Amino acid sequence: MIKVENVSVCYRMSFDRVKSIKEYLVQKLQGKIGYEEFWALKDVSFQVRRGEVLGIVGHNGAGKSTLLKVISGILKPTGGSVQVKGTVVPMLELGSGFDFDLTGRENVFLNGAILGYSEQFLKEKYQEIVDFSELGQFIDVPLRNYSSGMVMRLAFSIAAMVDPDVLIVDEILAVGDAQFQEKSKKRMLELMSGGATVLFVSHSIDQIREMCDRVLWLEHGEMKRIGRTEEVCCAYEHNR
Amino acid sequence: MNRKKLQMGCAAALAVYLLSAVLFYWIAGEQLHFRVEETAAVTPAQPIGELVQGMEVRQPFTAQCDEVTGVMLRLSTYGRTNTCRLIVSLLDGEGSVLAQQILAGEDIEDGALQKVFFAQPVRVDRGKWYAVVLASPDGTPGNAVTVWQGNTISAARTEIPVEIPAGQELLIDGAPQWGMLHVTVQTRSHMQFGAFYWYWAAGGGALLACYCGYLLYAVGKGKDVLILRVISAFRRYGYLMRQLIARDFKTKYKRSVLGILWSFLNPLLTMAVQYVVFSTIFRSDIPNFPLYLLTGIVCFNFFSEASSMALQSIVGNASLITKVYVPKYIYPVSRVLSSTVNLLLSLIPLLAVMLLTDTPVRPAILLLPFGLVCLVVFSIGVGFILSTAMVFFRDTQFLWGVVSMLWMYLTPIIYPESIIPAQFMTLYKCNPLYHIIRFIRIVLMDGISPEPKAYGLCMIASVVPFLIGAVIFKKNQDKFVLNL
Repeated sequence: MIKVENVSVCYRMSFDRVKSIKEYLVQKLQGKIGYEEFWALKDVSFQVRRGEVLGIVGHNGAGKSTLLKVISGILKPTGGSVQVKGTVVPMLELGSGFDFDLTGRENVFLNGAILGYSEQFLKEKYQEIVDFSELGQFIDVPLRNYSSGMVMRLAFSIAAMVDPDVLIVDEILAVGDAQFQEKSKKRMLELMSGGATVLFVSHSIDQIREMCDRVLWLEHGEMKRIGRTEEVCCAYEHNR
Repeated sequence: MNRKKLQMGCAAALAVYLLSAVLFYWIAGEQLHFRVEETAAVTPAQPIGELVQGMEVRQPFTAQCDEVTGVMLRLSTYGRTNTCRLIVSLLDGEGSVLAQQILAGEDIEDGALQKVFFAQPVRVDRGKWYAVVLASPDGTPGNAVTVWQGNTISAARTEIPVEIPAGQELLIDGAPQWGMLHVTVQTRSHMQFGAFYWYWAAGGGALLACYCGYLLYAVGKGKDVLILRVISAFRRYGYLMRQLIARDFKTKYKRSVLGILWSFLNPLLTMAVQYVVFSTIFRSDIPNFPLYLLTGIVCFNFFSEASSMALQSIVGNASLITKVYVPKYIYPVSRVLSSTVNLLLSLIPLLAVMLLTDTPVRPAILLLPFGLVCLVVFSIGVGFILSTAMVFFRDTQFLWGVVSMLWMYLTPIIYPESIIPAQFMTLYKCNPLYHIIRFIRIVLMDGISPEPKAYGLCMIASVVPFLIGAVIFKKNQDKFVLNL
C-alpha cells in the first residue's frame, strides 16, 4: 500500500534566505552564499500494508512532519522513492484554502475540491457536512463573520467526511467547544479504525498504544526502530 | 479511460476537424487564394497643376504581383466642385489599355484618398512594365482636379528621400518630372496554399485519423500516452479548477457596488480616456480609431491582468502548497482562466462599439476564437515563467510592473503600425502580442480572414512561449516548497 524506500530529504539552510536579485549578486560577489545542509530524513525505508495503522513517534524536529509531507506528495524527497496506491487525504492543517469573502456553503465546495473530493461526492455529503458542523443558518454567511471556533468546526467537518484509502493524521484534532471536541475526537477515531491505511503522528503515547498496529520511531531523521507497538513504545518511553 | 469513450472522442475530434475545415474554407474565401498588397506611395509634396483636357499624366511601374485590382490616389479639387470627369487607365508596356475606370468630378472629395477599383482584376506579368495613366477629357482651367507628386517616403516622423529608379519618374505629356505620382497600386497575388487547400485539409485529417488510430491501439496495449494523461488530469482536476476560477471571479467584485458591471465599464472607460487624449492631443489618422483602440486595450488588459495574477499564484497560495498536494500548474492556469472569463465579458462592449461605429459584422468574426485562444495560451506561458521567477526572486513583481508598461508601449495599441520605423520592424515582429492583436484586429475591423501566414505566426507566437514556460515551470516546481 505504502512503500517508502531509502527516502532522504535535505534542506539547504542559508542563514537568511536570499529573496532578491540584488542581494543574491552582492552576496555572491562577497562569496557569502554558503548553505548549511540539514538532513531532515536520512535513508528511511518501510512498508505499510493495506488497513494497517502505523504510528510515528519521535521528539520535536525528528522528521515526522517531513515524512508525512513526503508521503502525501507535497515535498519531493532528495533521494529515494515513495509509492502510494490509492487516494491520500492528509489531515495536516484544517481549513487551508478557505476564502474568507465567500460563504460557508461556497467554502465547503472550494475546500472539498482542494482536498480532492469529486463534485458528486461533495453534493451527496453536503448536508452531512453542514449537520456535523452544527452551523445551521450560518452556512450562508461569509466566513469573515464567523468566530474562529466556527471556522475550525466547518474545516473539521469537511475534512472528516472523507473516505480515503490512505489517511494521514498529524495529532488527533480536537476543535471547538468541549462538546464539539468530544464529537470531533470520536469522529477521528472512527475514521482511523474504519479500515483505511493510517499514518498517525502523535506525542501522546497512550493514543498510539490504543490505535496502532505498528510503530515507527524517528530520531534526528533516522529510523531508530520499527516494530510492534508495545516494544517500540516501551523503548521510546525508557529513552525519555 | 475506457475504449468506448475514446472511440467516441476520436470520432468527435474528426467530425469537428472536418466541419471546421469546411467552415474555414467558406469564411476565409478570397484570402486563401490571394495575397492582397499595395505598393508604397511617396509622400505628396506638390500638386502637379490643373489636369486639363489633352494633358496626360503617366506613372510607369514594374509589376511585382499577379493581378492589379485598382489604384488609390490623393485627389484635390481646389476647394470647389468640378464637373469634369477623370479617366484612370492601366496600360501595358506597349501602350494598350488593359482597364479603365471613369470618375465623376462631383464625387471627388478634396484632399481625400480615392480608391479606384477596376471592373475586373487585371492579370499582369511579374517584372514587366505597366503604367497608371490619368487624363481628363473635359477638364478646363477652373474646372479641373489635380494629383500630387513627391520624392520622399515617410518613416515614423522623418521623411526619407527616395532615389527614383530610371524610367519610373512621373511623366506629364511625356516629359519627366522631379518626383513620382502619389499613387498606390492595389494588387493581389496567387498563393499556392489556397490552390492546394483541400489537399492540405485532407492531409491534416489523415494525420488526425492516424493519431486516433494510434491512441486506440495504445490504450488497448495499456501504454501511457501524453494526451490521455492530459485528458485524465483534466477530468480529475477540472472540478478544482472550476472552483478556483469561480472563487477568483466571485471575490473580485464581491464588495463593490457595481460588481460585474466593472468588467464592461473598465475597458470602455479606458478607451474613452485614451480616445479623447489620442484623437485631440495627438492627431491619429487610423480609420475607426475607437474600435482600433478598444481591441488593443481589451487584449492587452487581459494579458496584463492574467500575467500579474499568475505571477502571485504560487507565492499567494503558499499556505495551500505546503499543506495539500495539488499539481502546481493548477494555480497559474486557473488564474489565467479566471481572467479569461473577464476577457469574454469585455467582448460585449467591444461588440457594442463595433455596432456603434457601423463596422459590418461579417462571418470572419467566427475566426475570433482562434485569436483569443492564442492570446490565452500565450498568457499561460508567460504566467508559468513569472510565477516560477517570483518564487525565487521576489523582485519579479516590481520589475514586472515596469516591464509590462514598457511592453504596452512597444505594442501598437494606441498608435498605428505605420509610425514604427522600418528598421525596427523586425524587432516588432518578435513581439508575440503584435501578431495576436494584429490578427484580432483584421478579423474584427476588416471583417476578413488574415492571410494564412498570420495563422502560423499566431500559433508560433503562442505555442513557443507556452512550451518554454511549461518547461521552466516543470523543471523548478519541486523546489517551490523549499522556497516559499
